[in-house]
Amino acid sequence: MIEASGLSKRYGDLIAVDDVSFSVQPGEVVGFLGPNGAGKTTTMRMLTGFLPPTDGHAVIDGHDIFSDPLAARRAIGYLPESPPIYPEMSVEGYLVYVSKLKDVPRRLRNEAVDRALERCGLVDVRRRVIGSLSKGFRQRVGLAQAIVHDPPVMILDEPTVGLDPIQIREIRALIGELAGVRDGKARTVILSTHILPEVEAICQRVIIMHRGRKALDAPLAELQSGGASLEEIFARTTAREAHAPVDATPEARP
Amino acid sequence: MRHVGAIAGRELNSLFVSPVAYAVMTLFAVLAGFFFLSGVLQFQEYVIRLQSFQAMEQLEELNLNDHVIAPFLHVMSVVLLFLVPGITMGLFASEKTNGTLELLLTSPITIWELVLGKFLAAAAFISILVLLLALFPALLFLYGDPEIGKTAAGMLGLLLMGIAYASIGCFASSVTQSQFVAFFLTFVLLLVLWMLGFLADLGAAGGATSNDTVGDLLRYLSTADHFEGMVMGLVDTKDLAYFGVIVVAFLALTKAAVESVRWR
Repeated sequence: MIEASGLSKRYGDLIAVDDVSFSVQPGEVVGFLGPNGAGKTTTMRMLTGFLPPTDGHAVIDGHDIFSDPLAARRAIGYLPESPPIYPEMSVEGYLVYVSKLKDVPRRLRNEAVDRALERCGLVDVRRRVIGSLSKGFRQRVGLAQAIVHDPPVMILDEPTVGLDPIQIREIRALIGELAGVRDGKARTVILSTHILPEVEAICQRVIIMHRGRKALDAPLAELQSGGASLEEIFARTTAREAHAPVDATPEARP
Repeated sequence: MRHVGAIAGRELNSLFVSPVAYAVMTLFAVLAGFFFLSGVLQFQEYVIRLQSFQAMEQLEELNLNDHVIAPFLHVMSVVLLFLVPGITMGLFASEKTNGTLELLLTSPITIWELVLGKFLAAAAFISILVLLLALFPALLFLYGDPEIGKTAAGMLGLLLMGIAYASIGCFASSVTQSQFVAFFLTFVLLLVLWMLGFLADLGAAGGATSNDTVGDLLRYLSTADHFEGMVMGLVDTKDLAYFGVIVVAFLALTKAAVESVRWR
């Protein structure tokens, strides 16, 4: 469903993402982990076509992001780090607009918007202006925007950030519902998060990024069978390569 | 190109739910009313004075087109210098601060569709303003007999100028995140483009340009000079082409600027 090979992003001398390759199978839910600045967001932005990779390429649902960018983007639902909302629009008006941008055919548009509203628990606020909604609702609007065209690939950048525990549980349940194979159509999810139990709750596979590189890529079941908790694995993975430069950082000084 | 309508529609909608559209329209209408009224009153006074002097020759030359409508269109073209930046400042800058540019650039739309949609929304709003403005000269037709062709040519000139300004505002908004910066950048660009003709006249008067090629070039580049011809009733292909080139050039620049977000 997603084939990334050798993805790199350099800004001058700064290497944000360095030669990252992975593939995601149809229907899989993959958790993207890593410390802040590890390159998770940059990698996701490259997959969505927002940022062109300096090197490497990616194929989304059979469409190359370079040679067939529009088809690749059509196959993706993307929730950026902060939900891309227009504060002055109504929830429903916004979703109708997004469905036009995402090429939902006119006759299916109302149905698509209704389904997204329902799935994200937004039916009661459909006529409200987005700017007047709480953070949790705005996040849901962001998620509704990502799923309104029922894309085969969903890329969610920290979908539960800033939500309260109940909302987090709802969103997780929703992601669980969205993914998988339904009506003969596979839906794949990549999500990034800092919350490790979230990964254990909904992901089948874990990719840990560290300093722009892929540090670990394994099925969750395999990791858990080793007896170590995900937290230990995360700490070990992100500490390992950091040793050398650590001595040089200001933290090493008294 | 099917996304152009969706993008332009949303933009216009946003303009009309925010106070910006109404503030701009009110300001425009109030200023237009003020300048129109003062123009008409001046004209009246002038007529009375000429009659009292029995200056029949000058009275013959007096007409509504040259003495009311043309000055009115001139002053409104200056008002556009201030108002268009206010209309266009948010086109791209607000998408950047909202984070919605990320939505647009990851949607299956082309950058041309995005740029055209934004530009058309601004151009449509400016057309509404110019139509609003047309009510004032229309009043003159009720009480006098100005030439319709000449009046229409002048209105068309103002419309084309406003649309050309919209493309420049589009560009300014695409190079910055701040609406404030976009406003002033647009204003400065418009002012410079408008003043080039005066600069040439100034240079010619001071004898700075021995050969007049530079002066002619400056005058050709100036928006004011092309507008001038249309206010006098001359719809020249050269002037139409000038406004067309401005629009195409600045939209191409806008496209490049939006695209460059990706390459940074």
